[in-house]
Formats: sequence, C-alpha cells, structure tokens
Amino acid sequence: MPGVMTMAQRAAKRNRISVMQGTRRVTGNPNVVFTTILGSCVTACLFDKHASVGGMNHFLLSEPPQGSGHKAQEIERYGVYAMEVLINDMLKAGAQRQYLSAHLYGGANLHQGMQAIGTANSTFATNFLATEGIPVIHASLGGRAARRVEFRPASGLARCRILIDDVVFEMPVKQKTEPVGELELF
Amino acid sequence: MSKTQILTVDDSPSMRMLLRVALTERGYDVEQAEDGLEALDWLGDNKPHVIITDINMPRMDGFELIESLRTEGDHQTVPILVLSTESSDEKKNRARSAGATGWIVKPFDPDKLAAAVRRVAL
Repeated sequence: MPGVMTMAQRAAKRNRISVMQGTRRVTGNPNVVFTTILGSCVTACLFDKHASVGGMNHFLLSEPPQGSGHKAQEIERYGVYAMEVLINDMLKAGAQRQYLSAHLYGGANLHQGMQAIGTANSTFATNFLATEGIPVIHASLGGRAARRVEFRPASGLARCRILIDDVVFEMPVKQKTEPVGELELF
Repeated sequence: MSKTQILTVDDSPSMRMLLRVALTERGYDVEQAEDGLEALDWLGDNKPHVIITDINMPRMDGFELIESLRTEGDHQTVPILVLSTESSDEKKNRARSAGATGWIVKPFDPDKLAAAVRRVAL
C-alpha cells in the first residue's frame, strides 16, 4: 500500500541514539528514541507536552557523603550542573520550565557492601526535581539490578526494563573534568 | 566594616540554595532574585557591592538585566559577574558589550567564586 509504512519500515526509520554517561540529548524529532543502560547512574527524562520536546541526561555523581558537609556540597553542585544544562537545552528547543515533567530511572546499588552510590544519586535527583517543582510522572530507582531505558522525546513515553543478569561497568566521573569556575575578567 | 553584600540572580531554586550556602559560609551578605525583573525591583531600593547573574532566565534574562543596569540608574559601576553554563565567545562578547565585569562558567567552585568576588568588589 503506497503511503503506509509497515511496522518494520517504521522501526527502521526510527533513529536510536544512545545517551552516554556525562552527556545529554534533547530533540522534538518524533523518529528519535533515546536509549541508555544504567547501573548506579541516574537518567532524568524531561518532557514538555505543549512543545513536544524531550531530553535525557545520564549522570553518576561521585561517592556518597561520609559525614563531610564539603563532599555533600560538591556532589550537589555537579548534580545541579548536570540537571541545569539539560533544562537549558530543553528551553532552547522550545520547552517552558513550568510545563516540564520528568521520569527518573537508575540509581541501583549493584554490589553489596559497596558504598550506596546509587542511593546517593537517586536521592539527589528526587530532591532536585522536588525543589525545582518539576513533577515526576514515573520513577524506577534503587534495587540491585541494572536497567535499560528507552525514551521517545517527542511523545514523552518512557520504557524501563530491569536487566537481571547483565553486568554494567561504570565509573564515577564528574560532569566536567577541566578546571571549572575560573573567572574571566572583561 | 559592614559585610560585602552580593545580589545573586538565578531562576533555579537549587542553584540559589548552593550560592547562598557557599557565599554565606564565606562571610558574605547574600540577597537573591529569581530573574532579571525581580532583581531590578530589589535594586530600586538597594545598592549591593557585587551582582552575580545567570544568563538563561524567564521574563528578563541576564543580558537584558546588565543592559538595563548599565544604561541608567544607580548601578552603572557595580561589578557584575555572569555565572552561566554557557561558555561560547558569542555569549561572552554580548555580556562584555552589555557592560558585564567578568564571566564564570558553571559548575562553580565556592572558593574560586569567593576569590572572584574579592577581586572585583569595590
């Protein structure tokens, strides 16, 4: 039938983009699917239903605070940065802050006995969205298993599958490794 | 001597909290606005020693705020530091020609931010 695509043709036309740790992607293209695999990392999938624009980030903040207020603040600063750059890219693509909603996935504690990095990441992301007044439509956080997430940015639909037997390797990296916060005087 | 007073302008409540904690801990008196318009409103009755502003904000962004302050009124010489996730030359040039004093790329380091404030504070 001319003009009608089969399921296979539609699937082939879809553009799957993997969102790597420390990066983010934003688009309103209905053919794009963002995918990512998470262990302790967290992904926030943001969506503005009026603009039909969505975005995904993928971050892992360093080890959880060990009673040191300084360390906790550092985690917070990098987390806020990871979220802010995603939100800014959403706004540039036509989204409006007050229409944003979110899905949150990841934050598993993969290995027993290790510091609860996943929990620290989940807690940060949950608190951040609450503070910013961005409603969470759906969240699947914590546990001990890795996750595969698919997100369609133009429709805001997300799917999260638990990967029981898969081993996910990830290293905590700061969102920026170059020197940050330097003053450039005009 | 009274404390150095800083006005921070940022639309993100999380960022406002981080800035308040970082600067208050380092001995500064911190006032906050959530966009350019709220900043202008507060600046109608107050004269901070330094202004730190974000760029991307609703209602009135950082560029418009700087332009407005430099065009007329009591704040034509107050040091204004831009604190933004942006780092393109185009945006920096726009801030420079609007009359900003300097530019700091996020994420910020609290000690470096305090050093920057000390450096520009009148």
